[in-house]
Amino acid sequence: MKADPLDRATSASTARLVRRELYSSRALPSVVTAAVLIAGCLVLLFEAVLKAVGDRPFLLDVEAVAAWLGTLPGGVPASLLGAGSVLLVVLGALLLLLALLPGRRARYTIPNERAAVVVDAEVVASSLARRARVAAGVAPEQVLVTVGRGSVTVQIRPTSGTPVDADAVRAAVADDLRRSSIKPEPRIAVVVAESGVIGQ
Amino acid sequence: MNTTPRLLNRFVLAVVGLIALALGAGGLALLTLPAAAGWWRSAAPRAGQAVEDLRSRTTLEGQEDTWLWIALALVLVFLIVMLIVWIAAQGRGRTGLFATGTVTGRGGGGATGRGDSSGGGTAGSVTITAAAAEQALKAALLERPDLVGASVSTWRIRGVPGIRVRVLPRKGVPPYDIAVEVSRLVEALDAVTGSRTPVLISVSSGARARFTRADRVT
Repeated sequence: MKADPLDRATSASTARLVRRELYSSRALPSVVTAAVLIAGCLVLLFEAVLKAVGDRPFLLDVEAVAAWLGTLPGGVPASLLGAGSVLLVVLGALLLLLALLPGRRARYTIPNERAAVVVDAEVVASSLARRARVAAGVAPEQVLVTVGRGSVTVQIRPTSGTPVDADAVRAAVADDLRRSSIKPEPRIAVVVAESGVIGQ
Repeated sequence: MNTTPRLLNRFVLAVVGLIALALGAGGLALLTLPAAAGWWRSAAPRAGQAVEDLRSRTTLEGQEDTWLWIALALVLVFLIVMLIVWIAAQGRGRTGLFATGTVTGRGGGGATGRGDSSGGGTAGSVTITAAAAEQALKAALLERPDLVGASVSTWRIRGVPGIRVRVLPRKGVPPYDIAVEVSRLVEALDAVTGSRTPVLISVSSGARARFTRADRVT
């Protein structure tokens, strides 16, 4: 396509779309964190206003809490303080990991000239399972496909008395993957179970 | 496709996480390290005294308590408003407008004026709402037997409207075929509206796709 003022789908914008679909936006942890912080801030706000107008504290006496903090680690059972601290450490580590880990979703992108295309790993797996089932000549229940980030595992339980051609299955799966042109190209492992099942 | 502030999300989560981590580590240090407990025992009264001094200095005449409480309340109100704004910023960006354009008297120009090749038309403006484009695409998608469901929505991406097509294929349908067919439909829409918008095709699996019967004809 030639350059055109009406052409608003540039390759850069497409790449950005794909990138944003492949990684988690951390919207849910953000909303939960914000809600908890708002609740805490509301309690503090209420107490601060009561203090400002010279009223008695309602739920939480800020001064008493400050004094209690000063007496730590006394004034509270060691087990309670320990458990609370460990809880805070775990929570903090969890939030920090959420912030720092890439948060890649189980999705793949398929190159397309016109649009940004993302595919759930589950859809890829079910397409591969169908190809593997046809190549092996077994029922759908006898094939299990697992799609990981860099590998595809096909597990087949053959029908008793009918051998399964593992190489044919591998070729069929490889062909399906090639036609999806998923990047990076995953490794393929075909596992044929030792024991067969009664045919269906 | 939405304008969720991803970097801000991660930044605030990191800050809150670090604070929680520091508080928890402090509690554990007080509990297990005698040195830390001793330091805290001497430092806490000093901090308390400093707060008390500040409080007496900021108490206005005739008042019984410091005005810092009011300042604290204002800061908390500001903080709460900021947090609410943060929540509201998640998942925004839907738009009801697909394309707008002006038609000058002679020939084309603008986003939708290209079809006007006869020229000499009346000057004016053309607006295509998102619903028009969405329903056209969705109707075409729902005719396909290999899809369990489809949804189309329009979002603002960097100032221009873009379309998000979410299709739920039946079990075992090859995703590359779906991608090609849907992008063909999108190209048909391009031809009709005369503009090329950014498009995201999301081939996903939902509960509906999982529990429907697979197409056994291969």
